[in-house]
Formats: sequence, structure tokens, C-alpha cells
Amino acid sequence: MGFLVTTLIFVLVGIIASLLTRICCNKGPSTNLLLLTLIITATVCCWMMWAIVYLAQMNPLIVPILNEEE
Amino acid sequence: MEYIDRLPSMDLMRSEKMMLAQLIIPVESAHRAVSYLGQLGLLQFRDLNDDKSPFQRTFVNQVKRCAEMSRKLRFFKDQMHKAGLGLSPHPASNTDIELEDLEVGLAEHEHELIEMNHNSEKLQKTYNELLEFKMVLQKAGDFLMPDGNHSADHETELDENVHANNDYADSASLLEQEMQPGMSDQSGVKFVSGVICKSKALRFERMLFRTTRGNMLFNQAPADDPIVDPASNEMVENIVFMVFFSGEQARKKIHKICEAFGANCYPVPEDSIKRRQITRDVLSRLSELETTLEAGLRHRDAALNSIAFQLTKWMNMVRREKAIYDTLNMLNFDVTKKCLVGEGWCPIFAKTMIQDALQRATFDSSSQVGIIFHVMDSIESPPTFFRTNHFTNAYQEIVDAYGVAKYQEANPAVYTVITFPFLFAVMFGDWGHGICLLLGALVLIAREKRLGSQKLGSFMEMLFGGRYVLLLMALFSIYCGFIYNEFFSVPFHIFGSSAYKCRDATCSEAGTIGLIKVGDTYPFGVDPSWRGSRSELPFLNSLKMKMSILFGVSQMNLGIIISYFNARFFKNSIDIKYQFVPQMIFLNSLFGYLSLLIIIKWCTGSQADLYHVMIYMFLSPFEDLGENKLFWGQGVLQVILLLVAVIAVPWMLFPKPFILKKLHTEVAPALIRFQGRAYGILGTSDMYSDEEPDSARHPHGEEEFNFSEVFVHQMIHSIEFVLGAVSNTASYLRLWALSLAHSELSTVFYEKVLLLAWGYNNFMIRLVGLAVFAFATAFILLMMETLSAFLHALRLHWVEFQNKFYSGDGYKFKPFSFASLTDEDE
Repeated sequence: MGFLVTTLIFVLVGIIASLLTRICCNKGPSTNLLLLTLIITATVCCWMMWAIVYLAQMNPLIVPILNEEE
Repeated sequence: MEYIDRLPSMDLMRSEKMMLAQLIIPVESAHRAVSYLGQLGLLQFRDLNDDKSPFQRTFVNQVKRCAEMSRKLRFFKDQMHKAGLGLSPHPASNTDIELEDLEVGLAEHEHELIEMNHNSEKLQKTYNELLEFKMVLQKAGDFLMPDGNHSADHETELDENVHANNDYADSASLLEQEMQPGMSDQSGVKFVSGVICKSKALRFERMLFRTTRGNMLFNQAPADDPIVDPASNEMVENIVFMVFFSGEQARKKIHKICEAFGANCYPVPEDSIKRRQITRDVLSRLSELETTLEAGLRHRDAALNSIAFQLTKWMNMVRREKAIYDTLNMLNFDVTKKCLVGEGWCPIFAKTMIQDALQRATFDSSSQVGIIFHVMDSIESPPTFFRTNHFTNAYQEIVDAYGVAKYQEANPAVYTVITFPFLFAVMFGDWGHGICLLLGALVLIAREKRLGSQKLGSFMEMLFGGRYVLLLMALFSIYCGFIYNEFFSVPFHIFGSSAYKCRDATCSEAGTIGLIKVGDTYPFGVDPSWRGSRSELPFLNSLKMKMSILFGVSQMNLGIIISYFNARFFKNSIDIKYQFVPQMIFLNSLFGYLSLLIIIKWCTGSQADLYHVMIYMFLSPFEDLGENKLFWGQGVLQVILLLVAVIAVPWMLFPKPFILKKLHTEVAPALIRFQGRAYGILGTSDMYSDEEPDSARHPHGEEEFNFSEVFVHQMIHSIEFVLGAVSNTASYLRLWALSLAHSELSTVFYEKVLLLAWGYNNFMIRLVGLAVFAFATAFILLMMETLSAFLHALRLHWVEFQNKFYSGDGYKFKPFSFASLTDEDE
């Protein structure tokens, strides 16, 4: 699962979530826009978190050094 | 850009459009109109009689009557509380009572209650006295009888002595002489008997001793039952005393001392037969009084019960009436004295609803004249009103706690709904703890209805009010817990196997050089091999610090972009060109570039030292980068960015004040002419312009343009931004710090408490270990860390995010509404 594939998965999840909210809670244009904003914000935040952690581990400069005592 | 204009407006983004309305109400429908408006709750009246004291206002008498009635109601409530009765929670039938009838009824009830209380007090006092008298009679018998016996014994003894000892005739006769004066002067030895409370007994005795110079005998015995002291309503221990003395002087002194000490004196006949008769009398009177008292109490309780049934309804009515009269006091009488004129702010969407309510009021009060409701212009800034629901209300309050938004500026709450729980989760990330929080939030939400109607303590109320915030915090915490791979600090291999393996089959170098990365990166989150390794902290610290910088730069950029949209909305092109653009350039050429470098370093795996790069970008920009080179053309790019950043500073500092000054000198004269014309139009069409204290329409005199003030303001703003860019970015490092603290605490509790205790085979030690682990997790990690992360996430929003665009100097819309009254007086 590369970086791009998982990014696409995040985008897909975001789109599905916004469609779901449009289907089940459709209460006027203002509320719809608000829900869309919230979902986009949440998707972007979650994606950023994942992407940062993923990128940091792609080419690591240090490796795990296990503890001697075990 | 036009697409943005075509988007539907989001209610939560900018506050509702408000209008200043003027109401002209004929007097007969005034009360009803205000009452209906109160039920609607969408109009905020302006106080037109600001300069008058409360006693100069028109409806001051009615307000006084309402205050008097609410005092009576409070008195009833007190009485019921004292009698131990409760208010009936169900509101009685909603038959409307007239205020005058209620007033009369309340006065009657109060009179009745006061009389009953007075009577029962008197009865209680008499009862107490009789009780004390009874005790004195009982104990007095004990004191006096031995004397009587004593004298009888002495008599027989004397006879014997006389018969037996003729030798001791002298002594006998002396004894006789001694006794006889004693016996015949038994009327000379007097006594005073009474009751005094135990605490004062010793001082009382000493005082008596001193004043009578020791010529007295003080007998005391504790009373059997304590008596209720009517003044303090407590049970007081008493002592029955009897003072034997001789002489009139002593009697007077003793009486005075008894009065001074508050001891009650009761005359006790010496004759035992009389005593018994009086005791019987007292006992019968006591039982009579008891029945009377009980009957009195029952009567009072019945009266209170009949009041309790309706008390809540009455209290609500009186509160509403007082509110209505307070509002009516804000209105002005017009010239003809037949109409009341009022001004108020209301949202534009409420216009039809308000007009409806006013029409109903006219109809219901059978008034001939309708109520006039029309829009006025105003210079003053309107109040801010956001229509929120259960969910967004908590977030709006969080934002309002810092400052209420200016009229129609962008509301940070829209983004705070997601970013606040998210940043909390970055600092809290542990999916085990997240599940605990989730359970708590779900419990609160499931019991929404029940908890909503109860009265909760202040801590529970805050917790209940923020239940949706808690829910989102929990969900994001679970997500971040998966990313950090921590379940009560234990990593799991949920998303596949670790990417790190031993270098060779023997794993001999695992402890020195370490594992090696084979295969693909762990697909979701932090690789589980890191936990427990020696290089865990260097890796995680580096990761989390860079993550904090990236989040910080993103959120600050979002803040600046929101300021662009604000400037666009208020059609302030100066702000766009001379504030938004240089701010974006400055922030991104320095810290945006740093973020770029971080990402490039991660992608390429270069060993460049970013600290070195950033610092030497400023110190020696033309130097060769050497081994810190991350991409081709980096040196040139750095020089360009540095130049651009340096240009951006004066760009945001200088042009704006000069342009404002130019605008002012050009536009101001035209504005005065325009205003003069506007006055003319208003003067002819408005009949009431003389009488109305039209503060909204008077312009605040000619606003002087103080150039130095504007320049200093702009300088402060620029310096704040420039220095803030560095300090705010560093401030985001608290995301790293708290996340590290949480992870370390969690590790310590897991390894040093649970694992340690589990290592022993003893059941008791394991149980104790489990208990300590549970308590430590619940109190330190779940409560303290939650509060701590909550606070820091809040600070990041309030300061670092909002100071990029939020002015927060508006005032909140507080409509006249009956719904908001119920909470005030409690």
C-alpha cells in the first residue's frame, strides 16, 4: 500500500462521508455546506496526520536498537 | 473567486443579519405586545431611558409591586423549606390569573401565615415555660425532701439526746438551741428555684457565691430532657437549681443575677402536698398545650401545602410580569402620551414572526390602532447572533469565551469544531484511553433528556454541556491512538507486520547497531518495533516535533486565509493588498519553506541538518550549502525567499496608514455634505424626530483622523505578526511536548505498576497492582491529562489561530425572552 494509494483511499472515504451526510441529514443549503466543510476539514486533518507519520518512516535515518536485557 | 460568491451562505460562518426596528405601540396593547414578544424571544430592546434612575421611570410602581410579590413568594418558599415540605414539580393547570387577584391572594396568604407563626411561637414559649416548671417541681422535691427528712431526723435525734444524755445537757441544749432556731426559722431560710442552661451554670454559681459572700447553698441537678430554645431552634441542656439564702438583700441580689443570666425562676411551694397538686396541674396543662401545638402545626402545614401546589406557577408569573414591566420601562412615551415608542435589534429573518406577534397583541387587546413596526438605519454596530443547535452550541461558547465575534466577521467556530478535538487528540493519542473517553461521552449523550431537565452541579453541568465536544475528542483520540500505535502504551501489529527485521539470523547486532528496514513502510501509523527500543525517543521526538511544525504552519495559514475572506466580505481592499499579501509572503517564505524542507528531507532520506540550514539562511545566505543541500537550486531559492521576507515587513508596515490618511482627507468633506443632505430628508418625513432620543441616527461627531495613532497601531500589528510568526510556530511544539508526556506516563504506569505487579505469582499483589494501575490511569491520565490537553488545545486556538484574523470585540445578542428568565433568579 503505497503513499498514493492510501491517499486516494482517504479521499474516497471523505467523498463517501459527505455523500452519506447529504443523504441522511439534508436540512437546507446552509447546513449542508457546514457539514461539507466539517467533513473536508476532518478528512484533511486525518490525512495529514497519517501522511506525516508515513513519510517520516519511509527513509529513516535511525533504526530501532533493541534493549540488551530481555 | 466568483464561485465563492455563488456558494450558499453558511449560517454559522457569519452572524445573522440584524436590523434596528422601531416599535410604536398604543398604551392599551403595550403590556400584551411585550408579553408576546417575550414569548417569541427574538427582539433585544434598547434602553431608551438610560439616563433615568430606576425611580424616575414610568412603570416604577408596577415593578415595586412585582418585587413585593416576589418577596412574599420567597417568604412562602422559606417557610415551606423550614417545615420540610417540597415544591410540587408539576406546574398546576394553566388558567390565567390576573395580577391584581394574585396580589390580593398573596397578601392574604402571607397575613395568615404570619399570624399562624406568631401564635405558634407564643404557644411554644408557654409550653417551654411549663416544661421547665415541671422539671423544677420534680427536682425541687428531691432537694427539699432530704431537708424535711433531715429536720424530722434531727427531731428524733434531739429527743433521744435529751433523754439519753443528761450529762450533755449543755451541749444538748446548745444543740437544741441551734436546732430550734433552725426549725423555727425555717421560714428565714428562703430559696429560689429555677432553670438555667448548662453552659452558664458554673459562672452563675460563682457569681451567686460572690455576691452573697458565701452565705448561700447552691443545689443543682441536670434536667432530664433538653428543651428546644425558640430563639435558636436548637436543643439546649438545662440544669435545675435551687439557691438557699437568708435575708431580703440576698433575695434581691439573687433575682437580679437570675435575670442577668437569663435563668427562669419558678416559685415552688415547700409543702409537698401543694407541690404534688401543682405538678398535676402543670402536667394537664402541658398535655393540653401539646395537642394545641400539634393542631396548629397541622393547620399551618395544610395552608403551606395548598400554596405549594401553585407556588411555581405564581413565581413564574411574577417573574414574567416584572420582566415585562422592566422592558416597558425601557420604552418612551411620545408627544401625545398615548403611545409608547421603543427601539430594538432583531434578526432580519424574524421580521414576519414579530409582526405576527404584534398583530395578535393588537387583536387580543381589542385596540383600535395597530402597532407600527418599521426598520431604522443605524450607525452603531449590531449585536452578534449565531443560530446554533445542541452540537455547535458548545463550540460557539468556547469561541465566545475568548471574545464575541464582531458583527458579521468570520466565525472561527466553523473550523474549531474539528480542529479543536483534533489537536486535543494529537496530544492525547492513545486508543485505549480514547475508548474510555468515548464510553463517558456516550453515557452523557444517552442520558441527554434526563440530565438536561435536572439541575446539575457546576462541574457536571460543564461536562454535560460539552458532551459533543467530548465525543469528538474521544473519536479523534482513538484515531491518533492507532497512528501512534499505543493502547495503554502497548503497541499492536494490527496493520501488518513490522518493517524492521534483524540484519542476520542470529540477531546478534540488534542491541548495538540495531535492526534494518526491509520491505515496505508500516502502512498505518508508527511501526510497532520502535516501542521499547533504545532509539525510540530520538525517533519519536524528531517525528513529533516536525509534525507539530507542519500542523502549526497549516493552521496559521488557514487563519491568514480567513482574514482574506473577511477583508473581501467587508470590501476592504487595502487590507487585502497591504496586509494579507505581505503576511502570507512572510509566513510562507520562512516557515512554509521550513515545512517544505522537512517534507523533502523525509522523502529523500537526506542527512541534511535543518537547524543548520535555517540559521545559516539568515546568517550567511550566500555560502555554499555543502552536505546540507537537499535539492538543486536551493541556495538561490533561499536568497530569494530571504529577500522577499525582508521586503514583506515594510510592505505590511508603511503603506496602509498613508493610504488611510489620503482616503480620509479626500472622502471626509464629501461625507459631511452627504450627511447634511440626509438630515434634511429625515427631518421632513418623520413626525417623531423631535421627541425621540434618536441616538442611533446621530452621527458620532466628526471622527478625527489621528495619523500617529493609526501608524502606531499598524506598527504594533506588524511587529506582533512578525515576531509572532516565530513564537507562534514554536508554540505549536507543545503538541509534541504533551504527547511525549502522555506517552511516557502511560508507559511508566504500564511497565512499572502493572507488569511489575503481574510478575509476582501472588494473587493479592496482582490485585493491588491492578487497582493502582486503574486508579492512576483514571485520575492522572484520564482526568488530569484530558484537562491539560484540553487547555493547551484551547490556547492554541485562542491565541495562535485566532490572532491571525479574529477581532472578537462584538457584543452578544440578548433578546427579551421568557425562556432565559427561568435561570436568572434561582
